[in-house]
Amino acid sequence: MTAILQIDGVHKWFGSHQVLDGFSLNIEAGEIVGLLGPNGCGKSTVLNIVCQLLACDAGQVRMMGEPISELGHRARALIGLCAQDCALYPDLLPAENLHFFARLYGLSDRLRQQRVAELMSSFGLEPFAATRVGKLSGGWRQRLHLAVSLVHRPKLLVLDEPTAAVDLLARMDLWRLIEGLRDSGTTILLTSHHLAEAERLCNRVALMRDGRVVAQGSVPELLARVPGRAVAKVQSADKAAIMQRAHHLGWPVRQHADQISLLLPHHLGLREIVDALDGTAVSAVSVQAVTLDDAYLELVGERT
Amino acid sequence: MSNRHLLLEQTLAVAQRLLLEQWRQRRGLIFWAVFPATMMLLFGLVYAHNVSMRAGLDAAAAGILMGAALFFSCLGGTVAVIAAERERGTLRRLLASPLHPAAYFLGVVLAQLLLAAVQVFMLYSIAWYIGARYHGSLFLGGLILLLSVFSYVGMGFFLGARFARRSEEVVVALSAIGVPLLVLGGTFFPLEIMPQAMQTLAQINPMLHMNQAFKGVAAYGRGVDDMRFELAYLLVFCGLSLALGIQSYRHLLVADKRQ
Repeated sequence: MTAILQIDGVHKWFGSHQVLDGFSLNIEAGEIVGLLGPNGCGKSTVLNIVCQLLACDAGQVRMMGEPISELGHRARALIGLCAQDCALYPDLLPAENLHFFARLYGLSDRLRQQRVAELMSSFGLEPFAATRVGKLSGGWRQRLHLAVSLVHRPKLLVLDEPTAAVDLLARMDLWRLIEGLRDSGTTILLTSHHLAEAERLCNRVALMRDGRVVAQGSVPELLARVPGRAVAKVQSADKAAIMQRAHHLGWPVRQHADQISLLLPHHLGLREIVDALDGTAVSAVSVQAVTLDDAYLELVGERT
Repeated sequence: MSNRHLLLEQTLAVAQRLLLEQWRQRRGLIFWAVFPATMMLLFGLVYAHNVSMRAGLDAAAAGILMGAALFFSCLGGTVAVIAAERERGTLRRLLASPLHPAAYFLGVVLAQLLLAAVQVFMLYSIAWYIGARYHGSLFLGGLILLLSVFSYVGMGFFLGARFARRSEEVVVALSAIGVPLLVLGGTFFPLEIMPQAMQTLAQINPMLHMNQAFKGVAAYGRGVDDMRFELAYLLVFCGLSLALGIQSYRHLLVADKRQ
């Protein structure tokens, strides 16, 4: 496997505030890597450094084996950026936006015509060929936005919360498009607050906290780091009693906000859980297999 | 594609995009044209109607072109372009692309030059109809207009990069700063009819010297030898505006990258 992107021990300060603290991450060709973490953990700073919108204060970023600082403007031609806000020209038509950006990347006339036609077709934009971008719905604008970031066939596609500003149907539609890119071998670095998005799309997920990666691996690998195979979410007026009983049963307890989660060694039925917690004031209980949400809370969230 | 070829391609792409956007926002384009055309008609008719003022008609045409037309379209237009790139988030996308800063700058200049050429044709057609005439060297007049457009775009980059965060601020800022500069620059009235204090104050207004340079050629048929001071002033001002504009654009790149 060839490393497309190697980020090694990157530090970044804004004044006296340290945003990145030895951040490291490698991305191999054809991978989709999800970067997840709470607001302010430094995800956007990582993307800005990768896209050369910011310089790092220490550490090194390599693109295709070469330091990004030495590649200069060439690095920008290797990367496609699709941020959550649709950065497009609303008075231009979809193809005009694609042509404009293709020209900035220096595509020849013939290649440009071919590429724009190909993207208009593969992203299903042809029915909107005569519609100004400002008149498109949010979902279609985001589709075009994604197409624009691919116009120069980048080696690495950077998706910064690509579905944050669209409705559920448009989000699912974009997921299908990103899955198509994944299947065609496009290398992608993606940030998201939707864990289901990362779970569905990514080969590998890196969890960030306080400017560094605290855990990374495939989704099953991260799930295996949760000390339980299923999670029972319990509501009760007497949380202390629930926690004491769970402790007695040997079930690890996690409390996030108002929610008590009991990590079960294997999947148990509701009846078995209620019986095990007999004598405590359980008002509601649900049980499900461990998900990336649980792994995220376990590895990134503050434990109570 | 060689670096020089890429720079040219990027410059043309930026200019073409700006012109296409202007064309699509035809209402905006009409308003840019209505203001100087109305000024030309109103002032032109007043000058033409009064025998004692008729001699000033040629100067009024030159002043209105330089002040009311080019000031608002080239300076105001550039500020509006920068504010819109910021608002739409396209500036970040441009910064992440291999677009050379010089290509962006030159693209804006090129688009503004083409718009300026249309304005020159439109205003001088109206002025000709009313009775104004152009007397001097077309080459020298064209050179002064070229330097003025560069100066306005440079100032536009400075104001847009440093001050205009939103499109709404552009109109307010232009009205607040622009109209007094135009009046003190002798755009609508000759400097001689102003009180002495205003005449003294007007000397520090670059608009006055730009106006005087173009009026010198267009209305009085003066040559290079007669206008050494005005031309030198315009050259220096153009250089300063461009330096300020480029420096502000660099500042904008750094500042916006941090967001």
